[in-house]
Amino acid sequence: MIRFLAKRFGQALVVIALVTVIVFLLLHSVPGGPARGILGPQATTEAIAAFNHEHGFDRSLPEQYWMYVSGLLRGDLGESYTLNQSVSSLIGQRIPKTLVLTGLSTLLALLIAIPLGVWQGRRRKGLADYAITTLVFIGYATPVFFLALILVIVFAEKIPILPVQAPQAETLAGLFADSRGLILPILAGAIASVAVFSRYMRSAVLDNLAEDYVRTARAKGASERRVVWLHIMRNSLTPIIAMLGYQLPVLFSGALITESVFNYPGMGLLFWNAAQTSDFPILLGSVLVIAVATVVGSLIADILQAFVDPRVRGAIT
Amino acid sequence: MTESPALAIRDLRVSFGNGGNGGNGANGGDGGDIVRAVDGVTIDVRPGEIVAVVGESGSGKSVTSMSTLGLLPRTAEVSGSIQVGGVDVTTLDAGRLRAIRGAEVAMVFQEPMTALNPAFTVGWQVAEALRLHIEDMSKKQAYDRAAELLAMVGIRDARRRLDQFPHELSGGLRQRVMIAMAIACEPKVLIADEATTALDVTVQAEILDLLRDLRTRFGMAMLVITHNMGVVADIADRVVVMYQGKVVEQATVEDLFARPRADYTKKLLTSVPRLAPGQRRARTRAREQGEAPALALDNLVVEFRGKGGGTNRAVDEVSLTIGRGEVLGLVGESGSGKSTVGRTAIGLIKPASGAVRLLGEPLTGAKGRDLRRLRRRCSIVFQDPASSLDPRMTVGDCIAEPMVINKVGDRGDRDDRVAALLRSVKLDPAVRSRYPHELSGGQRQRIGIARAIALDPELIIADEPTSALDVSVQAAVLDLFLELQDRLGFACLFITHDLAVVGLVADRVAVMNSGRLVEEGPRDQVLFDPRQDYTRRLVAAAPVPDPAAQRERRAQRLSL
Repeated sequence: MIRFLAKRFGQALVVIALVTVIVFLLLHSVPGGPARGILGPQATTEAIAAFNHEHGFDRSLPEQYWMYVSGLLRGDLGESYTLNQSVSSLIGQRIPKTLVLTGLSTLLALLIAIPLGVWQGRRRKGLADYAITTLVFIGYATPVFFLALILVIVFAEKIPILPVQAPQAETLAGLFADSRGLILPILAGAIASVAVFSRYMRSAVLDNLAEDYVRTARAKGASERRVVWLHIMRNSLTPIIAMLGYQLPVLFSGALITESVFNYPGMGLLFWNAAQTSDFPILLGSVLVIAVATVVGSLIADILQAFVDPRVRGAIT
Repeated sequence: MTESPALAIRDLRVSFGNGGNGGNGANGGDGGDIVRAVDGVTIDVRPGEIVAVVGESGSGKSVTSMSTLGLLPRTAEVSGSIQVGGVDVTTLDAGRLRAIRGAEVAMVFQEPMTALNPAFTVGWQVAEALRLHIEDMSKKQAYDRAAELLAMVGIRDARRRLDQFPHELSGGLRQRVMIAMAIACEPKVLIADEATTALDVTVQAEILDLLRDLRTRFGMAMLVITHNMGVVADIADRVVVMYQGKVVEQATVEDLFARPRADYTKKLLTSVPRLAPGQRRARTRAREQGEAPALALDNLVVEFRGKGGGTNRAVDEVSLTIGRGEVLGLVGESGSGKSTVGRTAIGLIKPASGAVRLLGEPLTGAKGRDLRRLRRRCSIVFQDPASSLDPRMTVGDCIAEPMVINKVGDRGDRDDRVAALLRSVKLDPAVRSRYPHELSGGQRQRIGIARAIALDPELIIADEPTSALDVSVQAAVLDLFLELQDRLGFACLFITHDLAVVGLVADRVAVMNSGRLVEEGPRDQVLFDPRQDYTRRLVAAAPVPDPAAQRERRAQRLSL
C-alpha cells in the first residue's frame, strides 16, 4: 500500500510539474507580455522595459521559470493586475467557498443519484425507468446557466421563496448563516451531476444483476432487497467512485457558471471576473489550482476504490 | 421404495416466453416464440442418494436445477410439482421460498470465482448463509460456525481464511467455500450444478471426494448436474439422462454404462473420449534424412511482470521438438504454462531467453519479412471459437483473411479456396455469407480450423480446441482434425487439459506443471506407464466413464 501510494504520489508530482511548465509558457505567450497587460496599451516602450526589468521579465526563459517555480513553492502565485492583492490570498479566500458549493451539490447529487440508479436498474425497461431516463437526460442536456436561470425565475420570482443572490459573506460561517441563499446554487450544480451519476449507477447495477454471485445470494435465501442494497450495491459503487475523482475538474467548471449566475463569491466567480478584465495571474493561478485538484482528485479516487474493492486493494499491496 | 424422496420432481415443464406477453400455460402448443426448456421431467432423489443429471448444453438440466429453488427468471412458465420434504416449491410465495433456499435446498455453482461476491470476505459470506436462516445467531457465533464449516470442507487454517476475499483463494479453495456455504444450514437436498467443471482434474477429484464424504456424513440427497460422464461414473448412484428438455433414460450408474437403452445415451457414451492404449491410428510418415523438425524449443524461458515489480516465470527452461507431420500433445493443469508455450512457439510472446526454431529457421530474432514468411507457414486454433472469430466479419471473410493478408491468389481463387476449405471441414459452402453468431459452437470451431488450414500450414498450434464443446460435438471435431491431419500432414502442438483427448490425437505427449516440463515421451508410455509422480497423479485424477473401473482408480488414487 505504501509502495502504491509513493508511486502514485510520484506520478502526481510529475503531472503537476508539467502543468507548471504549461502554465508558465501560457503566461509568456500573453500578447505583448505581462507588461502590456498591466500597464495598458498606452504605455511607453521605456515604461515597459523598466517594468520588465523590475520583474525580471528580461531574463532568459529558464531563469524566469526558476523564479516562477520557486515563487510557487513559497505559495507566491504573483499579484493580481486589477485587484491589488496577491493571487494566492485571493484564491485562498475563495477556495473554501467553492469547495462548500461543489461539495454540497455533489453530495446532494449522489444522495439522489445512487438510489435512483439502483431503482432504475431493477426496473429496467419499465415505464418508470423510461420516464426517469427522459427527465434525467433533459437535466443533463440543459446548459447549467439556463437551468440556473429557470431556477431563479421559478423559485425567486414566480414563487418568491428563495433569494436570487448567493450570500456575499466573507467567511464560511457567514455563508451558512444565510443558508437559504445557498439552496439554488447547490440545486443548479446538483441536477446535471445527478444525470451522470445515476446513469453510471444504473448500468453498474444492470451489469451486476447478471453476475453469478447474485444468483448465489438468492440461492442462500437472501431477500431481493438484501441482494440489491448489500451485494450489488457494494460492487456497483466502484465505478461511481472512480468517476467522482475525475469529476472534480468538471465540478469546478460547473461552479464557474453557477457562481457567476448567482454571484457566489467563489473561485468560479473570481475566474470569471478575471477573464473579463484580462487578469492573467489570477487566470493562470486558478488553472494551476484546478490542475492540482484534478490530480489530487484522481489520487483520492484510486485510494477510495481500494477501500471499496478488495481486488484493487490486493493488486496494490 | 422404503424411504420417501427428499426431492421429488414430478412432470416438470418449464417454458420461456419470448418478451413481454410470456405466453399463458406451458402446455399450450402455440409454438412460435415459446421455448420449451424442460418438458415433463420426473426425478426422485432419496436421502443419502446421489443422482446425476447428464446432458449436453441446451438439454434443460440446469433449468431443472434452478427451478427447484425457484431461481428461474420471471419470464419462465413452470408447471408440475417439485416436492422438497413434502412441500411443493412451485406453489410457495417469495417469503416462504426464501426460507427454503439455503436451508432445505442448497446449491453449489459452476464457476466459484464469479459465484462468490468479490466484495465480501469468505467468512462474511458463509456467516451470511447461517444468519439468514438461524435468527438468534450472533455475528460472533456465525463466524465461529463459519470457521468450523470451512474446516469441515477441508480448508486448513480456516480461522485465517475467514478474513480473505475470494480472489485471494485458489479455484479449489473457492469451490470448498461454496460448498461450506451450501451445507451451512445442513440442507436436506444439495444441488451441485457443474460444480467441478471449471476445476483442474486433480482438484475436481478432491471436490468429488468431499461431496461423497458429506453425503455419508449428513445423509443429504444430492443432485449432481454435469456433462462429464467421468464425473457421473465417479460419484453417482443413479443417472438421469436428459436431451432437449426430456428425460430419455433413468438407470443405476452400473446399468447405464453397461447397458444403455436409449439411443441418445448410447451415442453420448460412444462420443466420450476414453483413455486406452494403442488408439491412435498409426500414420507412419518416414522422416526424410536431415529434415529439420517443425518446431524446436530450446531452453525456453518466458517471464511476466508480476506483483510488486517481481517477475513471474510462466515457462521455465522448456525444451521440446515436434517432427514434421507429428502431433505432440501438451497437457497440464491451469497455470502450468502450456498455453504460453504455444503462443511463444509462433512468436506471439517474446521469450526471456532460449530459442524457438520454426521449420528449421530461428524465430527468435526474426524480423519483418522473415517473421511474416515464417508465420505464414504455421497457424493457430483457439479454444473459444465464439471470441476468436471477428463477429463483424462473415464466415467467408474470416477464412479468407489469412490469404488476403498474405496476398495469396486473386478474389476468384480465394472464393474457390474458401468453398473448398468449408467442404473439407464438412460444412456447406453456403455458410460463407453467414456471421459467426448465427452458427453453433461446433460449426464455429470448424471455421476456426478451416481458417487455420487456409494457407496449407506445416505447423498448427491447437490451444484447447475442443474444450468449449459438448462431447458429441467434440468427438466430431476431433475426428475431423485427425482426418485433416492425415490428409494434409501438418505437424501439430495440441494443447489440452484433457488426457483422454490427448490419448486420441497425439503421437507423443509432454506434461507440464508450474512452468516446467515434467515428462515427455511416446503417448502410450506417458499415459499408461508414467515415470513421474506428477504425471501419475494427473492420470489417476482424470475420471474414466466406467463406474467399476473408476471405483478401482479412486481406491488407487487415494493410496497414491
